[in-house]
Amino acid sequence: MSAAPAPTTASQRGSPWLRYLALALVSVLMLYPLVWLVGATFKSNAEIFTEIGFIPSRLSFEAYVKGWKTSTEYTFATYFLNSFLITVPRIVVTVISCVLVAYAFARFEFFARRTLFAVMVGTMMLPLIVLRLPQYLMFREVGLLDSYWPLILPSAFATDTFFVFLLVQFLRGIPRDMEEAAMIDGCNALQMLWHIIVPLLKPAIISVIVFQFIWTMNDFMGPLIYLASVEKYPVSLALKMSIGATEEVEWANVIAISVVALIPSVVVFFAAQKHFIEGATSSGIKG
Amino acid sequence: MAELSLRKVEKTYPNGFKAVHGVDLEVRDGEFMVFVGPSGCAKSTLLRMIAGLESITAGELAIGGRRVNDLPPKARGIAMVFQNYALYPHMKVYDNLAFGLRLAGTPKAQLDQRVRHAARLLEMEHLLDRYPKQLSGGQAQRVAVGRAIVKQPEVFLFDEPLSNLDAKLRAAMRVRLTELHRTLRAEGRPATVIYVTHDQTEAMTMGERICVLKDGVIQQVDTPVALYQRPANAFVAGFIGSPEMNLLAGELVALDDGPGVRLGQQVLALPAARAGGLGGRRGPVTFGLRPEHLGAVGRPDALPLQCTLKFVEHMGSEVYVNADLDGLAVSARVPAEQAQALAEAPRGAPCTLHAWMSHAHLFDAQTGAALA
Amino acid sequence: MYENRRLGFLFVLPFVLGVVLFKLFPFAMSFALSFTEYDVMDPPRFVGLQNYRELALEDPLFRQSLGVTLWFAVLAVPLRVGFALFIAHVLNFRLRGINFFRSAFYLPSILGGSIAVAVLWRFLFARNGLVNGVLGHFGVEPIAWLADEHYSMWTIVLLFTWQFGSAMVIFLAALQNVPQSLYEAAEIDGASRNQQFWRITVPLITPVIFFNLIMQMVNAFQEFNAPYMVTEGGPLSSTYVLALYIYDQSFRYFNLGYGSALSWVLFALVAGLAGLSFWSQRYWVFYAGEKEGRK
Repeated sequence: MSAAPAPTTASQRGSPWLRYLALALVSVLMLYPLVWLVGATFKSNAEIFTEIGFIPSRLSFEAYVKGWKTSTEYTFATYFLNSFLITVPRIVVTVISCVLVAYAFARFEFFARRTLFAVMVGTMMLPLIVLRLPQYLMFREVGLLDSYWPLILPSAFATDTFFVFLLVQFLRGIPRDMEEAAMIDGCNALQMLWHIIVPLLKPAIISVIVFQFIWTMNDFMGPLIYLASVEKYPVSLALKMSIGATEEVEWANVIAISVVALIPSVVVFFAAQKHFIEGATSSGIKG
Repeated sequence: MAELSLRKVEKTYPNGFKAVHGVDLEVRDGEFMVFVGPSGCAKSTLLRMIAGLESITAGELAIGGRRVNDLPPKARGIAMVFQNYALYPHMKVYDNLAFGLRLAGTPKAQLDQRVRHAARLLEMEHLLDRYPKQLSGGQAQRVAVGRAIVKQPEVFLFDEPLSNLDAKLRAAMRVRLTELHRTLRAEGRPATVIYVTHDQTEAMTMGERICVLKDGVIQQVDTPVALYQRPANAFVAGFIGSPEMNLLAGELVALDDGPGVRLGQQVLALPAARAGGLGGRRGPVTFGLRPEHLGAVGRPDALPLQCTLKFVEHMGSEVYVNADLDGLAVSARVPAEQAQALAEAPRGAPCTLHAWMSHAHLFDAQTGAALA
Repeated sequence: MYENRRLGFLFVLPFVLGVVLFKLFPFAMSFALSFTEYDVMDPPRFVGLQNYRELALEDPLFRQSLGVTLWFAVLAVPLRVGFALFIAHVLNFRLRGINFFRSAFYLPSILGGSIAVAVLWRFLFARNGLVNGVLGHFGVEPIAWLADEHYSMWTIVLLFTWQFGSAMVIFLAALQNVPQSLYEAAEIDGASRNQQFWRITVPLITPVIFFNLIMQMVNAFQEFNAPYMVTEGGPLSSTYVLALYIYDQSFRYFNLGYGSALSWVLFALVAGLAGLSFWSQRYWVFYAGEKEGRK
């Protein structure tokens, strides 16, 4: 057959090459720092500060080894483990509570449903910072400071309203026919949830898992406020420590370990890319 | 026994809208009952109320003699086939069929036997391992029907199951469903069926009895033939039969030897059979005559009407003639052989149509109720 | 089953408890605390409007911080949203590499909020870091990004802008919803590409522009990680945003009453701006084909 159909409007005509050029330029500008930093981890300290090219003259893993060991009594193995000890439980309770609540909002009739939904949307926009201090005092009162509870517990109550909203919007787009068929087949609410709703929600649930994973791994202020013991520090706090109070920073090591810290998020991002972007556009995202 | 009875059933929505007004209906055991009517007539609502998907505001619903108003769907002994099939997309066809039985704790051997029997009945054994998205429209519809059969319910509910299929497939499925009904009856497990459709062809060909609904009120419940020959009101008369019956505004007048009806400037004498129940009525009346009962040639029981030809539609074996009768629009369905002259006549030419008076209907001009 | 109100409420109960426990109650507590003096050791002491009076009249650091925060928002939000729209527009084609570019631009917005990136950013803008290195190749003298109070703000503004991917993805979806037939009709009417963009595209996506502006404004006012890690609020408090000030007062100096008052000022600021935006909607936001009110 002939070549691709000719573009029909002015907005489609006009050299696509210009667009490609602009896009390429911007992506280089945006991503080069990251690329260069990865290269920097393999360079010697002296080379880092003199070379703007990103390819190291010789590969050295020294920065990674030193950075991993850190100058504290724990290696980054501990810190990564801690991050996962926070992230994984948090994801589990988030998914469970948000699915339950979203199911209720999307399907059921109950007292003050519309008001509660409005409250949910309203609190989505609430500047979190107002709540930090009182929550801290509350947790202090029940003696839960310096533990992971304050970081996990709120998510067990569907307080991550962004996720509830995402799931509700997704569920609203699914016709009720299958649930009606299941009702006739004899499902009660929990069976419906497990056999019908959750499988139908799978793409949205994956989005929730991916977002919550990355946001929790990145969370800094939470651990900063609640954790005092170094052995409990997650990666985000450990990174801060590595900059520390000293003027002289072992930049090579710090950069190396920062790069490593980003790897889980990058891996998860690329693995679940399709779901990620669909989830973001379906309900709006916090940056 | 799987008879179904509705007594004074009503449905009012929370916003005050009354969808169903006092419906009374008895469906016999093993009967194929069709609910038909224009959109908005509440036929689907009624079906869903029987299924238990919508609540019953007032009145009583009984299946097999027990009152089921407050029972959940699974306890009513019903199975439903949805317009959009509503198959579970993440389960194979086999599991779609088996789902309800699994929930009920049916033993594996019995479950397997029932699923395969249903698959055999619908000729879809080769589809059992597929997922819904790998099925064509017709295949998906069969799975939906199979899911209902597997449950061995007392009553089958069909909610416009063929409306998503193309015309040819629809015709084939119509036949298949009717034969299925007969097969189940022959197997000694007669199935009571309530079938909702807006398509009067489906209704007429499939139903043993048809319930015509309008705005939540039953207009008439009767066999297809009876509905065709003896419609209870003008609405049913116009709804059943294609093309639509001619309903003309006329006037009952007294003639020398009995009553007659004036249409436009012309008067037609009514045959004795039709005149019987009229008493001494005079005044405005709605005159009904089906297009197929208006001919181009004369007949002993036919009276001539002088009309002006408007246009003609050639349908192959028939010709639809559209004419004007002193300001009233009239259509006739004439076999092609008899319509030669008419077919060639120009617009505005005078033509004579012969009304077969023995098939004439009279309806009250106000209420639409059938007279005589 | 869905008409069972008790069941529905049971399912939504975690949320109700969560909202009361972790949102409404702390909200009220924060408000109450703002009228007290409280240092965690001794019980809170009611002091009326003293905190508010102090921050309004006697606290130059607050005024500095407020100014910094506003300046940051004014710079960063339009840059981020503007870039997002621009790139989304450029991407809105049957370009073959669209998925690659979309991911490439989206990635920074995912990683950008992390401490790791803040650390890396700090390094990039160090006196002998990459940025100065590149500038040096063009003959520009090295700039003391982090040490000079005139330039420090730009490091965090740039970091914020770098994360435009999330807003871009939303714009892209909105742009792809604008029917092609409108552009075709416009071309027949003789509109140039530029005119098409400003007179068709932009008006039709004003709801999305509005949404993005609000969301990013709320984000900008709460920005904490970058000022904390990259510039540490300095130099000379030139990047000492309100979020940092609130954190210091609450968790380092333990002036909990004052910290609460500060956070309420921030909240009122954000709420006020959001309210203003919502009110201004009817002047510039065009909702096509939406029926008034929902059932």
